[in-house]
Amino acid sequence: MNWRHLNSVLHRDIGYLAVGLSIVYGVSGLAVNHKADWNPSYRVQKTIQRIAPIEATERAEMIREALSKLAIGEQPRNAFRPNPATLQLFFKARTYSVDLPTGNVIVEQANPRPVLFEMNQMHLNAPRRFWTVVADVYAIALIVLAITGMFVLKGRLGITGRGAWLTTGGVLLPVAYWVYHLYIE
Amino acid sequence: MRRMIVSAVVVALCVTVGLAASVKKYGKPLTVKQTTKVSDIYAKPDAFNGKRVKVQGPIVDVCSMAGCWIAIGSDKEFQSIRFKVDEGVIVFPMDSKGLTATVEGVVTVTVMSVADQIAAGNETGKEMGKEMGKEMGAEMGKEKKPFDPKSITGPKTVIMIKGEGAEVF
Repeated sequence: MNWRHLNSVLHRDIGYLAVGLSIVYGVSGLAVNHKADWNPSYRVQKTIQRIAPIEATERAEMIREALSKLAIGEQPRNAFRPNPATLQLFFKARTYSVDLPTGNVIVEQANPRPVLFEMNQMHLNAPRRFWTVVADVYAIALIVLAITGMFVLKGRLGITGRGAWLTTGGVLLPVAYWVYHLYIE
Repeated sequence: MRRMIVSAVVVALCVTVGLAASVKKYGKPLTVKQTTKVSDIYAKPDAFNGKRVKVQGPIVDVCSMAGCWIAIGSDKEFQSIRFKVDEGVIVFPMDSKGLTATVEGVVTVTVMSVADQIAAGNETGKEMGKEMGKEMGAEMGKEKKPFDPKSITGPKTVIMIKGEGAEVF
């Protein structure tokens, strides 16, 4: 087996192995790039509910009265008063912000976006530990794919012909931005 | 063979359930022994500025965009402190709200000028407007008053903890 054949085999097989993660990281990359415009991991819905004003003045009684008026049977994980007029009740993925004097309630429901949430968790390395190793191996695989990719073909379409121009273009893009960002911007 | 597989599945399930029920650790391990009350930091911000502290309390808010901060409720009412981490270093899930967190980091005290507060208020107003338009419609618009720069009367002291590690349970 000569070196070019070995190079092609490596490029082919590592490429197959990297398909799954490339799609995960690519889709998540698109989603996270635009996080200024949307929440890529959660669908946050806010609705308004109206109940009678809360009359209790003592905290525990206030919570009981709010739960009763909201017809909620379960106990909240926690409660908090960010200011004298507001009581917040926290449940798993659901928060009620009760305006005590008016009885207006903002209900915030935060549900993970199906599939995209998991992709973003992997992309942002939220699991840490074992996933850091996977992400490192994937990063090395991408470097190997880039290098072996240059030498798959030879001749007019290879790295000495068309490949040279395209590779130069691909390298110039980040270099040009780097120069612009560091010295011109 | 079948018995071995069943045993392995049971063990795996037990471990998974055990891990899920235990404390969730984020970032670097906590090293500070003594827990500081949030109200103590608010009482003497200058004394704590630059000091490494460990605080504990309910998570009352989470950064919805990147999970890069949580607000910890104080031992005193109407007080909370923001625990900020570098984006991507720790990602706090939104469903952490209401759980209890022990966090460790360095207290930072900064004074926000009137101009900075107005700029931040306008930005928040824009974000809120976007959110209201998309998520809540016109009805919600009636509930929230738009940001009024006249409500800013002077410089504001902002206290937060720049963090590196947290445990949530």
